[in-house]
Amino acid sequence: MNTRRRMFLLFAFVLTVVLLTGSSYAIPAFSRQYGTSCTTCHIDFPKLNDFGKAFKDAGFKFPKDDESFIKIPPVMLGAPAQKDIWPHSVFPGTIPGLPPIGLRFNQFFQYTSGNANNYYQVPPITPQTPVGTALSPTIPRTDFEAGYFSIFMAGNFGSDIAFWVDDDLSVSGLNANGALGDGYLRFVNIGRFFKLPTDALTLKVGQFELDLPFTQARSINISPYDIYTEANIGSSSIGQNVNNQFSMQDAAQGVEFSGGHQYGGYHYSLAIVNQNTSGGAAAAPSNVSSPAGFFSDSNYKNIYARFSYRFNLEKDPASRHDIQAAGATGPRDHTYLSLGSFYYEGRSVQRFISGTDSLLTAREPFYRVGGDFSFNYRTFNLFGLYMYGHDQDQAFNGDYSGFVPGSAAKFNGGFLEADYLALPWLMTILRYDRVQSTGDFLNGANSSNYYSPVGSARDRFTPGVQFLIHPNIKASFEYQYRPQQALYYNASGQAVAAFRTNTATGALEFVY
Amino acid sequence: MKSTLMMMVVAVVAMMSLAASAGTISGKVSGVTGESVVYVEAPAGKTFPAPTQEPVIDQKGLMFQPHIVVVQQGTTVQFLNSDSVAHNVFWPSVGGNKKLTHNLGTWPKGEKRAFKFDNPGAVPLLCNVHPEMSGYVVVSPTPYFAKTDASGAYKIENVPDGSYTVTAWHEGAKNQSKPVAVAGDSKADLTLSK
Repeated sequence: MNTRRRMFLLFAFVLTVVLLTGSSYAIPAFSRQYGTSCTTCHIDFPKLNDFGKAFKDAGFKFPKDDESFIKIPPVMLGAPAQKDIWPHSVFPGTIPGLPPIGLRFNQFFQYTSGNANNYYQVPPITPQTPVGTALSPTIPRTDFEAGYFSIFMAGNFGSDIAFWVDDDLSVSGLNANGALGDGYLRFVNIGRFFKLPTDALTLKVGQFELDLPFTQARSINISPYDIYTEANIGSSSIGQNVNNQFSMQDAAQGVEFSGGHQYGGYHYSLAIVNQNTSGGAAAAPSNVSSPAGFFSDSNYKNIYARFSYRFNLEKDPASRHDIQAAGATGPRDHTYLSLGSFYYEGRSVQRFISGTDSLLTAREPFYRVGGDFSFNYRTFNLFGLYMYGHDQDQAFNGDYSGFVPGSAAKFNGGFLEADYLALPWLMTILRYDRVQSTGDFLNGANSSNYYSPVGSARDRFTPGVQFLIHPNIKASFEYQYRPQQALYYNASGQAVAAFRTNTATGALEFVY
Repeated sequence: MKSTLMMMVVAVVAMMSLAASAGTISGKVSGVTGESVVYVEAPAGKTFPAPTQEPVIDQKGLMFQPHIVVVQQGTTVQFLNSDSVAHNVFWPSVGGNKKLTHNLGTWPKGEKRAFKFDNPGAVPLLCNVHPEMSGYVVVSPTPYFAKTDASGAYKIENVPDGSYTVTAWHEGAKNQSKPVAVAGDSKADLTLSK
């Protein structure tokens, strides 16, 4: 039991740190390059305003007359006239005049509620529990945590080729244990080569966050959306063999075709990405010499598709079609209603030694499907998402020599969030998250929460407030009224002394 | 013929006499770097007709150009947007008076909006979507004003002889005023501090 509890606590601690340090980015490199403030593109960094969305759509450039805004001229990697003699020369491009590097650091403080006292109990202490049993560290009631120190680079190389690379140099105060976030090249508006309408086709290649309706990697919230972190783990207690670690927030590797605009009208994306399963990198196959290629567990490719349409609701036609609406006191985001849907289809892979000492491979198709909306009026934004997850199950047959169809593992849930920018430097947030997963409940302590959820439906409320001390420095506060959990169950399977680990978190973040 | 000649002589003498009574104020503004503005305060009870010229302040490359414009009280200034992004111009005060705050709204590339500055003082120009944008209209109560050069030197010409108060303004310093008696060429050095 001690080992199990130790694993709980370790997992809980790691999860706490991960949850509290959601990625978020603003790009100081662009501030330097264009001599402009973060608020040109961000409402409350890293949340983009309409202009920021257009800037991103255009390949990290001003949508029109980009050159006239650049304060630090780019370095020419070839005279423009070299274009005329292509293919007898390398097609000329540019690099940003300054290294387009931005740095980000954040740190956190958390306070867990009085219910954390539950953690100090060792359930169940019985007369048989040996005296002197060592206890694992607990989640502290209060805690200072160093977050991420990250480097990120973004810009464009001219010729409508944009790039982005971000990497966490250190996490939680430890060295070099971070990882690549996004790293991609984006070929903007390649549809022009096929005489398609402007911005109808753009190609992205590399590692990237899926085109989620509401970004997780660049969210303003401290804690992530629960539905984005939900992996689908079946319950062996009902015979399910599903063990799909994929969650929507995972970075994907592959290609993405997209088109349209995020700031009005249609937008679509279609990504073909590596399957993202619980399997690790495969060993080099014996029939292929080592340098012949890359080895991974990604024989199969998954597909993600998204379509959305944004109805700009401005009365004035010019405003409606412009990047930003012409407000009486200055440009502002449109009043709009955006509706969208998304679909992810993949296949998770598990390999087992069969009952006959041969290899058994379970390939379990799964999909995630959902819809989303976003309504914006002035500085008030209400948005939400619903998602349904379904994994087919390949259950073992009686002698583990093969599989038989099992009951699918399912979950659903989503979130609803209201952001209100009360003042240009004051963002208020109210969020509701809900995840319903029978598997999580049946799995009890193996769920992805701190401890066992007491029901298959988990929901939480998360009010928050954020202050921009400067355009690049932010203080954030969030209170997570978390779902009910339990340390253990009685013999009849009922949660004993269920509690909530409500948590107040504060974060300081700066980019430079 | 003789009388016409006589009148011309009288007119020339009168003009020469007028020119002789208009002096120059020159000097140096120290304690700050960059452009400053020096203007003559209006003598009590004295008013000046508003000029008909309408200077233009452009919004170009996410900057107000020129950064500082000095105008006489009553001047209409045209605000042009040459950028392909939407801009906004507003000011939180005129001469420190926050009641005179005004917002000109939003307008597209190539268009202008006009505003007549009837109150003297410095007007800090801002854009609510590009907070780094900074510009100033300095509204002088008289037609006698000048911007300093890079060294801080200035020269205000054609100031009628008399006793005045000159005021120096700089965007990063407190105004400083001092009396000056103009009779021909006069000097007034001013030192500004934050």
